[in-house]
Amino acid sequence: MTGCRVEVCPDPFDPWQQLALWCGDAAAAAIFIGRVRPTTMDGRPLEALELEHFPGLCERQITAMAQRLQQEHQAGPILVLHRVGKLAPGEPIVLVAVQADRRGAAQRCSAALLEQLKHQAPFWKREWCAGQGTWLAANTPL
Amino acid sequence: MIGPVLKVLLFASLRERAGWAERSFPFTPGVSTAREVWNQLDLGPIEGISIAVNQELVGANQLLQDGDELAFLPPFTGG
Repeated sequence: MTGCRVEVCPDPFDPWQQLALWCGDAAAAAIFIGRVRPTTMDGRPLEALELEHFPGLCERQITAMAQRLQQEHQAGPILVLHRVGKLAPGEPIVLVAVQADRRGAAQRCSAALLEQLKHQAPFWKREWCAGQGTWLAANTPL
Repeated sequence: MIGPVLKVLLFASLRERAGWAERSFPFTPGVSTAREVWNQLDLGPIEGISIAVNQELVGANQLLQDGDELAFLPPFTGG
């Protein structure tokens, strides 16, 4: 079993550059990149998306879920990068990448990890629109 | 502050609703629960709120000890 790299990033990251540094030689890799939408949940133009987390607990929760899913799906190396701070529309928020010997394991592990990340890791989003910030009460649909 | 105290942390929308991020609270060690502290804060129903004691997620009936860090977390919206 190989490692899980988990980072909460206060500064912007380039997902493709990060993937180039991380990449291994497994037969399969599943990659998810999430970016900030240009509109708010209720359809208005978004100025910025702010992300807050609970330092310490957040990183440990993600690492524990990645390790659990890695074992469950017999996957290889896992990379999770998640932004915090104020992001502009189009900026990457999250990168989840999973390597495995088979496409099924890589894709299932990646999808499960992303869903757990959304619902079980202590992150909070606030939408900024016309100078006003609104904390989101629920996550976006699948 | 005299006697046993807890450090209580609030995040995101809870912090803004309360108007503070961190406070010390007097309590009774081994008797007071996270739910009882929450009720004293007067921030609405506890349903949907996650609770962490010393950076571990716990249930609302978790008993508290002197020096514990108790965090109340609104529903998660990351990813």
